[in-house]
Parts: sequence; C-alpha cells; structure tokens
Amino acid sequence: MTTLSQRAPSSEFRLLAVPLVLFLLVFLGFPAVVNLVYSVSEVSFETLRRPEITGFSNFAAVWNDQSFWQASWFSLRFGLLTALLECALGLFLAIFLSPLIEKRSWLMAILMLPLMVAPALVGLMYRLVLHEFVGPVPNYLWTWFGASFSFLGPGSAFWTLVVVETLQWTPFAFLLFYMAYQAIPKEIVEASAMDGARYRHRLWYIELPLMAPTIVVALLIRFIDGFRVFDNVYVLTGSGPGGSTASLSIYIYEAFFKQGAIGKAVAASVILFVVSFAVLYGLNALAARRKGAR
Amino acid sequence: MINALRWIVFAIAALAMNFPILVTLSTSFKSARELSTNPGLWVYAPTLENYATVFTVSDRLNIFLYLVNSVAVAALGTLLAVALALPAAYAIARGKLGERTLLPLIVNLRAVPLIIFAIPLYMMFQWLSLLDTRLGLGLILAIVNLPLALVILVNAIRDLPGELDEAALMDGATRFQILTRVIAPLCRPAIVTSLIFGFITAWNEFLFGLMLTTSKAVPITVGASFFFAASGGGVQWGVASAVMIVGALPPMLLGLIMYRQISGSMTAGAVKG
Repeated sequence: MTTLSQRAPSSEFRLLAVPLVLFLLVFLGFPAVVNLVYSVSEVSFETLRRPEITGFSNFAAVWNDQSFWQASWFSLRFGLLTALLECALGLFLAIFLSPLIEKRSWLMAILMLPLMVAPALVGLMYRLVLHEFVGPVPNYLWTWFGASFSFLGPGSAFWTLVVVETLQWTPFAFLLFYMAYQAIPKEIVEASAMDGARYRHRLWYIELPLMAPTIVVALLIRFIDGFRVFDNVYVLTGSGPGGSTASLSIYIYEAFFKQGAIGKAVAASVILFVVSFAVLYGLNALAARRKGAR
Repeated sequence: MINALRWIVFAIAALAMNFPILVTLSTSFKSARELSTNPGLWVYAPTLENYATVFTVSDRLNIFLYLVNSVAVAALGTLLAVALALPAAYAIARGKLGERTLLPLIVNLRAVPLIIFAIPLYMMFQWLSLLDTRLGLGLILAIVNLPLALVILVNAIRDLPGELDEAALMDGATRFQILTRVIAPLCRPAIVTSLIFGFITAWNEFLFGLMLTTSKAVPITVGASFFFAASGGGVQWGVASAVMIVGALPPMLLGLIMYRQISGSMTAGAVKG
C-alpha cells in the first residue's frame, strides 16, 4: 500500500484535466493556427488545402474595406447602446419590483421567459410582429394613430434592432441585479433606516454602491453579447438595408459564405481574435489587481 | 398605492418582453382566412390546421428530422461539455492546476465572438467529413457550453470541504475514485444545472447550425426558417408561427420548470466567473 507522501497528486490531477485540454487543442487551438496561417496566405475554395503564404495583403484588404469599418462601428454602437439600455431597465425593474417578487417567485419565471427562446426565433417572430399586413404593431398603430412606420427601413432598422435585442435581454440584467439586491445584508438596510436615512439616500449611498460590481459585470457581459450579435440581426434584416446593419460577425460570415473571400474573412477573424483576447486579458488583469489591492 | 404601481410596471414589462412570443402563439392558431382580416392579438376562430401542416412531412420540409437533430446535438453538446468539465474542474479546484491559465482562458471563451473559429472549423469539418452531421454540430456545441459548465462546477467543488478528499485519500482512494464516488454525487445539483443550462443554450444555438449543416443534421432553429419560404406565394404566417412555437417550446418549458436553478447559476456564472 502506498502512503500519502508517495502519491504524486499533481500528476493525477493533470491526468484528469487532459481530456479537456486535448479537446480544446483540437477544436480551438488548431482552428486558431489555421486562422493565423490562412490570414497571411492567398487562398480560395479551389486551393483550400494548399495555401500560399503571401504576406499581409489580406489584412490590407480588410483595412481598406469600408464595410469592415461600418460593421465595426455597428457592433460597437449596438453593444454599447443595448448594454446601457438593458442594464438601466433591468436595474429599475429589479429594485422596483423586488417587493412583489420576494413574495411570489413565479413572477420571475414570467420575466425570464424571453431568455429561454432562441434569439434566431425571436428575430423571426419580430418579422411577424412588425409585418405591415399581418403584424399587430403596425395594425395597432394604424387603428390608434392612423399612421404606421417602416420599422426595417434605412433610418429605423438600427433602432428597431436595438429595441428587439433590449427587450429580449433586459431580463438577464434584471436577474443579475435582483440576485445582487437580495444579497444585500438586511442588517445594513435596517441600520440605515434606524439612523433615519431616507429611501432615496439609502438607495444611492448604500444599496447601489454595494451592487456596483454586479452592475459592471452585467454591463460587460451585455456589451460583449451585443458586440458579437448575429442570430436575431441576421434573420431580421440580413445585413440590410445596404449593409447598414451588418455586425462584425455578419461581416465575417458574409465575406466567407456569400463572397467566398476566404482570406478577407480569416484576416478579419484574426483581428477580432487579437482584439477580444487583448481586451479580456486586460480586464482580467485589472480585476486581479483590484482584488489584490483590497 | 405604490404596490398597484408595481403591478402595473410588472404587467407592462412582462407584456413588452414576451410580446413576440404572445403574437406568435396567437397567430399560430389563426386560419389563413382569419389572418388576412385580423392582425390583432385575439383569435376569433382558433384552429390547429397550422400545426397539422407543420407536422406533415413533405419532400422539402421535415419537422421531425429537425427536432430529432436538435435533441441529439443538444444532448451530445451538453453531456460532452459536462463530462470534460467535471474532471478538469476537480483538478482546478483541488489541485490548483491551471487556475491562472486554463480557467481564465476557458472563461474568456464565453466572451469571445465564436465566429472567429467558425471558418477554420468549417474547413476542418470538410476534411474530416463532419459537415452536416449531428456528431460535428454536437462537438461544436460542447465548446459553446464548456465555459459556463466549468465555472459552475469549479465553484461547486470549491464549496465542498477539503476534509472530504483528505479522509478518502487516507482510506487509499485515488483521485479518480474520489471524483466519481465522493465529489460527483455531492455536486449533483451543480451538474444538473449545467446540463439544463447547456441543453437550453445548445438547443437555441443558430450560427453554427446555419454554417455547418445543410440538410441531414439541420437543427430546429435553422429548420424553422425553411418554413418561411415554404410556398411560392410568400410566407404563410400561420404555419411559420406554428413552427416557431414548436421550436421555442422545449427550452421554454424547461426554463419554466427549472427557473430557480437557472437564475441561481446565471448569477454564479456571471459574478464569480
């Protein structure tokens, strides 16, 4: 029989992590390498297996492609706006409705329902909701105001998409904030009430600061999901009108599948890859430093 | 008084956020004739004919195939993710292995636009003949599910007292035995949560289904859009609505039944991750 000291726990642990690491190497490591090689190669569907390394012309093509910048701008704007709207609405709902939901948790299930539906299906559903003949929204606008509105037209498509995304994902922010709000120790709230703090002051100086970390996390998650949006935008507007609603994800998808511009699509992927990981690791380092300072 | 206001706000929020679901549900029960005259929410003569059409297999559309595909790829993508994440989570939580490398890498994966891996994966699948197969799509969905499963499981194992492991080690158990006989049973709630969460996420996935499947392995999220172009004369909205309800119902029911577990783990994955 072996004794404790004779065991090598770290090698046993290593063995346990091996399947996951192998899986990641095959399904993410290998694609990452392919991305890097193909981004500096001349490649088409005919020469897929024999890429010819040619330098940085693909990156130059992306850099000089106006629709790449248009898509980046869309993603950035869409991510920021939806994150802010979702978190503002979610925060309001979480705090204002918490007395109701504390007593009846099934109310939460109703508010969570949109999160369960595939964003692609929600996008398709809005094609019905906003349809000029069979859709209820244009119909009610006609009966109540005598006028309707082209929701997916050139000027309005962006804002329609912002509303669609916000209505589906506000529940996510709401949920995070509700949990954080419930986690505030009751003693703190009671003590401040004893000291005669007004509700407004209690909210502003005690409860919101305690929820600040959650607010930052929620903003970040919602920004990222908004930035990389694909499903609902793709089924609702494609990328139109005139490419005005192409997110970066849609830009890459269309470059590859519709234009067959493999080099450009891969180079754009690499740019997005580098930027995302740089930003994420930067944020991690920042969070770790703040944790250490505390 | 203020409580009445809270109820009003709740009603407005619930209605606004669930509006597309309600509209689609109502439209799915309208006959083609009613649809052309009544675009409102109320259905005057409800009918099941749209559902009958959806569940009729034609040479171009086969809802049963899409549903079976979705079940198969979601099950594979979920089980595989948990099977890979559980031992790794144990190694991370107890062996302090890769706490600063592997864990952040995988957690960050949750935040990376997955489209950046999509093109090389498409090429790789072409070489491996995995395009348009359930196996291929299931493998990708496992990647999608991994980050959250890992975070949930690492947190669950960290919450278990370390004395459990010590005692089992003293009794001569190997780490693998401790994992399967001590840790895994105690983590059952967390495992169940990651399975439910993973299943819903995988069921609802669209991008990879769109890219990697064309006919045999098409999941319902992609298959549903086929019904929009069903006949020459434009979209049959009643039929399209019925297929959307069918596609949205399984995760919605799962979510309604398990909303407590889901809300808890969503917070865990977001805040601790």
